Amino acid sequence: MKRWHFILAGIFFLPALLVPLVVQSDYTLQVLFRVFLFAAMGLAWNLVGGYTGQLSLGHAAYFGVGAYSLALFSKAGVSPWVSVLLGMVLAMFSAAVIGSISFRLRGPYFALCTIAFAEVLRLTAKNLPNLTGGDVGVQVPLLFPHSSTKAFYISGVLLTLIVLALTAWIERSRFGYYLLAIREDQDAALAVGVNTARCKLWILLISAALTAIGGALYASLFLYIVPDQVLAMEISTEIAIVAMLGGAGTLIGPLVGSITLETASEIFKNFFKEANLLIYGVLIVVVVLFLPEGIVGTIANKLRLFKSAPIAPFATPEPPDPEEEAQRAVISE
Amino acid sequence: MNWFYSTIQAVLNGLLTGALYGLIAMGMALIFGVMRIVNFAHGAFLMLGMYATYVLFQTTGISPYYGFPLAGAVLFVIGYTTYMGLLRPIRGQVDFMVILLTMGLALIITDGVQLIFGADYHQISIPLLSKNIRIGSEISINAPWLVSFAIAAVLAAVLYFVVTHTMFGRAARAIAQNRYAAPLMGINVNRVQAISFGIGSAAAGIAGALLLPVFYLFPDVGNQFKLKSFVMVVLGGMGSIQGAAIAGLVLGVVESLTSLYWGNEWALAVDFVIFILVLSLKPSGIFGSQRA
Repeated sequence: MKRWHFILAGIFFLPALLVPLVVQSDYTLQVLFRVFLFAAMGLAWNLVGGYTGQLSLGHAAYFGVGAYSLALFSKAGVSPWVSVLLGMVLAMFSAAVIGSISFRLRGPYFALCTIAFAEVLRLTAKNLPNLTGGDVGVQVPLLFPHSSTKAFYISGVLLTLIVLALTAWIERSRFGYYLLAIREDQDAALAVGVNTARCKLWILLISAALTAIGGALYASLFLYIVPDQVLAMEISTEIAIVAMLGGAGTLIGPLVGSITLETASEIFKNFFKEANLLIYGVLIVVVVLFLPEGIVGTIANKLRLFKSAPIAPFATPEPPDPEEEAQRAVISE
Repeated sequence: MNWFYSTIQAVLNGLLTGALYGLIAMGMALIFGVMRIVNFAHGAFLMLGMYATYVLFQTTGISPYYGFPLAGAVLFVIGYTTYMGLLRPIRGQVDFMVILLTMGLALIITDGVQLIFGADYHQISIPLLSKNIRIGSEISINAPWLVSFAIAAVLAAVLYFVVTHTMFGRAARAIAQNRYAAPLMGINVNRVQAISFGIGSAAAGIAGALLLPVFYLFPDVGNQFKLKSFVMVVLGGMGSIQGAAIAGLVLGVVESLTSLYWGNEWALAVDFVIFILVLSLKPSGIFGSQRA
C-alpha cells in the first residue's frame, strides 16, 4: 500500500462524499447510490469470485437475507440497526451452510450449486407468506430519519470505502496470498499446507456479511421488498458482472465496473424502455471476447501499474490433467 | 379411491411433461458432454424456438406439430453460428468466462426478442387443444401433450441413435472422452463441436415449438426451463444423454406429484433441493453410467 494509493483514494472519495452538497435531485442521488451500492457488492463478491477464484452466482442469497432480516426483525420489534447486524450474522450462517456444501464442488458445478441455493431461498420466501409476506411483500423500516436519499448515498459511498479498504488489507495479508494460491491451483495450495476449505469458507463469510449490509441498505431505500426483487438471480448476476467487467481480482475493478455498467444502463434505460438488460448482455459479451481481464485488469496489464497487485486471474487456461480428463463423463453408450 | 386416480393422473401428466423436459435436457447434455460448456443460453434458445413456430403459425397457419422442424432448423443454424462466432474464439478460457458469455448471450436474445415482439403474453389456439382422451372414468389425457410426447420420444430415440451409431456421434464421444487425443485421431474438433452445439440448440428449439400450444409465450419463458435443464443434466450425470432423458421424465413426475400434494408453487423449489442433494451426495448423477 503505497502513499499514492491513499492520495488516489482521497482524490476520488472526498469529492464523492461532497456530491450531495451540489446535487439536489433525489433521482440523481438514487442512481449514484446504486452505483456505489453495486460497487460495494462487486467488491465483496470480488473477494470470493476474484481473489479466490470461486465463481459464485448466488450472492443474491446473502443480499436477500440482509434485506429480509432488516424487514422481519424490525417487524418483531428489534431496532433497525440491530436488525442489520442480525442480518449480517444470518447471512454468515447461510454462507456457512452454502459454502460447506458447494465448496466441495469445482468449476461449473460450484456455480450451479450457488444458483440453486439462492433460488431455493427465493422460492421459500415466496411460498411462506405468513413469515415473509410472500409475493405481496413486506415493509422495510427506515434506516435514516426522513428517508433522506442523501444519507443513503453517503452510506453507499462509505460502504464502498470500507469494503475497498478491507480488500486492500486482505490483498496484502498472508490470508490474501492463501486465497490467491487457491485461485491459481487449489491442489498445489493444499499440498503446500494451505487449509483451502477453511480459507474459502472464511472469505465467503466475510463476503456474505458485507453483501447483507448492502441488501439492507437497498431494501430500506425502497421501503418495500418482494422475493423476486432482492433474492432474484438478476441480483446475483449483476453483482458478478460488475466485478468481472471492471476486472475480477483487481482492487478497484468492481468500482470501475459499477460506474461503467450503472451509467450505461441508466443511459440505455431511456432508449430501450423495456429491454434495458440488453446493454448488460452486450457489455458481458464484449468483455469476455475482448477484455477477458476486465477494464482495470487490461489497462493495468498494459501499463504495468499496480505491480504488486494480482492481475489477470482468469486469462490463463488450466493445463490439461490427463487423469482427470480420462475420468470425465462421457456421452455414454 | 380418489387419491389413487389423482396420483395416477399426476404421474401420467408428469411423464407427458417429462418427455419435453427430457428433450431439452438431452440437448444440454450433448453440449456439456462434448464441450464442457454449461449453456446458460439454453432457455433463450428454447424461447426462440417458440417464437419461430409462433411466427410461422401466425403467418401461414401451420400448426406447431408440423412446424417444429423449422424451429429445429433455425436453432441449429443459430447454435452453429454461436459456436463459430462466439464460443470458438474463447475456447482456451476457463469455465468462468464461458458461463458469463452464454449468460450475456441469453440476455441479448431475451431482450432482443422483447424489443421486437414486446413483453406481452401470447397464446395460440388450435383445434387439437380441446381434445381429451379418456381412459376409464377418472383419467384423461390432453391430446396435444400426447402428440408432443410422441414426437419428443421419437426425436430422443433419433438423437440417441445419432450419438451412439453414427460417425459424428463417435467423434463427439471421442471428444467428450479426451479432447486432446481426439484431434490426433483425425477428428475435426471444431466442426464436431459446432455441430453438437447446433444439435443441442435445435433440441431446445424443438422442445420450445412443442411447448407452444400448451404454454404461454413471452420473452422470459425460457428462464425456468434453463434452470430445470441444469437440474436434469446434473441428475442424469453431466454429459450423459440417456441419463438426461430419464432425468427429464423423473423430474416431470416429481414436479407433478409435488404440485398435487404440496401445491404448484413448491415444484421448482423441490427441483433445486434435489439438485443440491444430488450434487452433494452423488455428483456423478443418478442415472448416468459414468462419473462426471
